[in-house]
Amino acid sequence: MSIEITAPMAGKIIEVKVKVGDPVQEDDELFTLEAMKMEMPIVATSGGTVKEIKVEAGQAVEGDQVLAVLD
Amino acid sequence: MRPYFEKMSEFGKPLGEAQIRRSEENLKQIREVEKDLAQRIQRVREAGLPAEKLNARGEWTVYQRLEYLLDPGTWCPLHTLFDPMDEESGTTGVVDGLGRISGKWAVVIGFDNKVWAGAWIAGQAENILRVTDIAKRLHVPLVWLVNCSGVKLPEQEKVYANRRGNGTPFFRHAELEKMGIPVLAGIWGTNPAGGGYQGISPTYLIAHKNANIAVGGGGIVSGMSPKGFFDLEGAEQIIEATRKYKEVPPGRVEIHHGATGFFREVYDTEEGVLDALKEHMRDMPAYNPRFFRVAEPAEPKFSPQEIERIVPFNQKASYSLEEVLARLTDNSEHMEFRPDYGPEVYTGLAKVDGYLVGLIGNRQGFLPKGYPDYAPYPGIGGKLYRQGLIKMNEFVTLCGRDRIPIIWFQDTSGIDVGDYAEKAELLGLGQSLIYSIEQTDVPMMLVVLRKGTAAAHYIMGGPNANNHNAFTLGTPTTEIYVMHGETAAVASYSRRLVKEKDAGRPLEPIIEKMNELARHYYEKSRPAYCAKMGFVDEVVSFADIRKYMVAFTGCVYQNPRSFCPHHHMMLPRIIKG
Repeated sequence: MSIEITAPMAGKIIEVKVKVGDPVQEDDELFTLEAMKMEMPIVATSGGTVKEIKVEAGQAVEGDQVLAVLD
Repeated sequence: MRPYFEKMSEFGKPLGEAQIRRSEENLKQIREVEKDLAQRIQRVREAGLPAEKLNARGEWTVYQRLEYLLDPGTWCPLHTLFDPMDEESGTTGVVDGLGRISGKWAVVIGFDNKVWAGAWIAGQAENILRVTDIAKRLHVPLVWLVNCSGVKLPEQEKVYANRRGNGTPFFRHAELEKMGIPVLAGIWGTNPAGGGYQGISPTYLIAHKNANIAVGGGGIVSGMSPKGFFDLEGAEQIIEATRKYKEVPPGRVEIHHGATGFFREVYDTEEGVLDALKEHMRDMPAYNPRFFRVAEPAEPKFSPQEIERIVPFNQKASYSLEEVLARLTDNSEHMEFRPDYGPEVYTGLAKVDGYLVGLIGNRQGFLPKGYPDYAPYPGIGGKLYRQGLIKMNEFVTLCGRDRIPIIWFQDTSGIDVGDYAEKAELLGLGQSLIYSIEQTDVPMMLVVLRKGTAAAHYIMGGPNANNHNAFTLGTPTTEIYVMHGETAAVASYSRRLVKEKDAGRPLEPIIEKMNELARHYYEKSRPAYCAKMGFVDEVVSFADIRKYMVAFTGCVYQNPRSFCPHHHMMLPRIIKG
């Protein structure tokens, strides 16, 4: 089953912490999002493997935008 | 009420391996700050004469006296780096803190007899007034180690006069006595004039055999007949008088023990005076802890030391407040108040050393979608919104009703701003929280975990709550300022930038000023500066926060002026529903 990881709010991705194929566990940090002068981790909502990464560091994103897909 | 308190909900989880790895850089940055603070503290301890010189005269230093007096492991120093008037010694000439003596908590303060023989020096009055305020708020004895040579005469204008000058503590002593708070004093050395009043103003005076207290010391008595100038004849008279009064200073033990009886007890040795203080502390009024405890004391399940791996040095990075609190509370248990409301703020009950406390703090990071519900933009942790302000008002009010002390944890970037926020009444709700705090009359303690910013620093139990905030702690990650330096630079120079741009002039000079202002803000908000100016009462390592919480709760429940029977409390029942 695929799980989409989305941005909780608009901001800028300042770090991508995983690459395609990486195994991840629930709560592992996948991205760092900067929004409203704060940096916040975006974590895996469940364990799996990174199937797809849809953004890169420095990219502006909208709220609810899909950032990655886990398998 | 045992079912409510004996076993609360557990919270927190062990640090993961990845988190431990990631936090190594964080630890390095924190250690740098701690190293700087440790060097500053060492300079304060070494101020004035070397200890050996005093010891050779047969005197102990204030630090040696404290070590002998206090129950081992209980000392929680305060105001160590406080030096708001840049005194040349780098100190205020007094050493103070919370500590247990013979098993009883007290606020303890002593003159640093290495520095100008314990003189009144710049910044000292403010330090002493803070200390008397703590004794008043916590309703515990104030113990003085008096060894005070009076005004540092070349700088009398900095200490003698004024509303909050060095005379004010004598009125505070009287105020404490009016409230039933004893002021015990051990007295050593020569204490003339101001030093004399330092000696006479406490409740119970215990003197060393060589101590004296006097309205005026030998120096004053020998110079009481001025003729408008100094000449050789006058100098000879001064020499003769000084020799006489050095040998036989006014207000010796034979006068104030033998004649007036002001000194209730006199001892030949340093130990004798301190043993007498210990003996009297044994007699001070105190409830047996079991009278107020709601459970057996227990250490947190997770070490407080781990907090330095949780709170990021990077002011922009987020973390879990609950993970911090789980490392500070007995058995890592709590009862959260309104978890489904005001998500930017944590409010809840927990136990510290078996005593019930209320905890309030800023959550960090993302907030649930749709919050705040009054605005089209998303909210973020660290800021305060309508529900969080209402929740804190409710919680504080109920803590007041149930007589539960409150420990605040600030890491706040301020209250939400803009017309949406104004329509949502945030200005009014902020002041309502100040009103709510002022109505409680329960002791409070504040830890500025990281940011203390804007009005949020005031309303969340800030030091400005003079009648309630007993003391405030900073940490190696503390920053206190009205707003972030970069925000201030934009606020100060944005119009100027537009003006220069429109005039076709270069922007670099303005940009340089903006960077300079941001740097200035940074330097004037660091932990050491906060401690020096008194924005916080002490900067402590994360591992030591719990120790101060134990001291605070121990003081609060030792001899409270009012209390609520456990079975009459409403807050636990409201939480349970």
